[in-house]
Amino acid sequence: MKALLVCEQREGKILDTSYELVAFADRLGAEKVMVLVGKEAPKVDGKVYLADVDKFGEYNPDLHKQVVLEAIQKENPDYVVFVHSSYGWDLAPRVAAALKVGQVSEVVNIVDGKFELALCNAKLRRTVSPKGARAVLTVQAGAFNAVEASGSAQVEAIEVAGSSQLQFVGYEPAEKKDVDLGRAEIIVSAGRGVGKKENVAIIAELAKAFGGELGASRPVVDAGWVAHSHQVGTTGQTVSPKLYVACGISGAIQHLAGMKKSDFIVAINKDKDAPISEAADVMVVADVLQLAPVLMEKLRAA
Amino acid sequence: MLVISCIKQVPDTTQVKIDPVTNTLVREGIPFIVNPYDTHALEEGLALKDRYGLLAIAISMGPPNTEATLKKACALGVDQAILLSDRAFGGADTLATSQVLASAIDRLGKEEEVGIVFCGKQTIDGDTAQVGPGIATRLGFTQLTLVDRIEWLDVPNKRIRVRRKLEGRHEIVEAPLPVVITAVRELNRPRYPTVPMRLSAQETPVALWDNQVLQLDVETVGLKGSATWVSKIFSPERDQGEIIGDGVNDPEGTAHLLLDKMLAKDLLAL
Repeated sequence: MKALLVCEQREGKILDTSYELVAFADRLGAEKVMVLVGKEAPKVDGKVYLADVDKFGEYNPDLHKQVVLEAIQKENPDYVVFVHSSYGWDLAPRVAAALKVGQVSEVVNIVDGKFELALCNAKLRRTVSPKGARAVLTVQAGAFNAVEASGSAQVEAIEVAGSSQLQFVGYEPAEKKDVDLGRAEIIVSAGRGVGKKENVAIIAELAKAFGGELGASRPVVDAGWVAHSHQVGTTGQTVSPKLYVACGISGAIQHLAGMKKSDFIVAINKDKDAPISEAADVMVVADVLQLAPVLMEKLRAA
Repeated sequence: MLVISCIKQVPDTTQVKIDPVTNTLVREGIPFIVNPYDTHALEEGLALKDRYGLLAIAISMGPPNTEATLKKACALGVDQAILLSDRAFGGADTLATSQVLASAIDRLGKEEEVGIVFCGKQTIDGDTAQVGPGIATRLGFTQLTLVDRIEWLDVPNKRIRVRRKLEGRHEIVEAPLPVVITAVRELNRPRYPTVPMRLSAQETPVALWDNQVLQLDVETVGLKGSATWVSKIFSPERDQGEIIGDGVNDPEGTAHLLLDKMLAKDLLAL
């Protein structure tokens, strides 16, 4: 079994998620071959097809698709694997359609050679197997622990001809965030379980008592209780603080993806079976509004 | 020129519960909603109708009760709503779904030129994010995913410039029409129907296109046309965090235990 791993780089730097793809292939027990549009190959043992980013662009979907298809033709892999990032999101279905094969999106686990996906905010999982001989897969970022970047690749340059109707105009930086949760050591986040907008102030106060920053889940931001700059999750910020305290957050998969790399996770939730319990190191089954004042009092007294 | 929004009726996943005995999804009493991302696809179609005078159409594939979802689209102001429903379409994965939607769009395009097709970036009940790209490929339309702003649309010259939302930055790209755009939440703020519009929507007919109309090869749609096989759906076994204290009856003691634990792990800068 062979897997072609479509690696990613940004401005010359290989993204760590590329090494997660390697871990995924190892778990699958597949022989691995890599392809990358970039400047230099990732540090992995094995063959890497490298297409020059100056020629193919940071991302031109039509040209990058040709590069991946060329590598597929040379290697004839059973699986073509992308990260479920904006890059894989856009490119994987194009490749699947060009090959006329099925795609399995956002794999979180491999069990008996079948792929597990989360659905309904991670309340459920389903196992999926592609029907045909070949399939395109995307793998959830963070689901597989990256291997160390230590190998030495056998690089082969790839050249394809191609044209594109898409015209790249430029990049814009993301809106400036007034809170840099990415740097916070401690984050205390509010979820829908806090009940109403006024109660967010209690969580903000708790965050302050901990010496941390206020985070929030998407429903709370959508409801307008907290500014988007505080949002943790795939549509907000990805964080990995020393301590993450989730208050009244059930743990939608998008939220979990944004915070599960935190060193230590505390969940305070009324429902002991909420998906957040899966990510939590410790869980307190309680109404956070009752627990928060007690916690604050003790923190201030300490 | 047509602007077509593809919408899907989904169970409200925030209310989905698992039967603890059978470990399956409890479907009874779970309300159906329009897939949240699709509400942005619908809104942008209506916004382009308002700004450029395009004809806004909503299409949805699903069981007959999907008509309710399309009625909602009518109440918001679409010019035409079409339900794609047939037993042969049932059990479809994203590949087979995009086949049906693409065929309907192609049919609409024979009457009037299609400029833009909007889809949500993903659905909340399947999360595969492939239907939009699948439609684009089948129809040979340019695919623009994860769009959070339409910079401009030039109808006479048939060009569009959009902003795509990537990790930590945005990308601005231009493309010739026709395009398939997948919408992220930041694209717009969906409108609410007014009472008169809701009432008049009750009168608006929703067209039904079954396979008599679309004439698709039954091997390419529904379960048969699917390229993936779902073997089981289950509730994940949890490697749950340790439950500390009794937070409900003893917040005081529990808070103490929790802080002790944090101190022991050297997590607090006290």
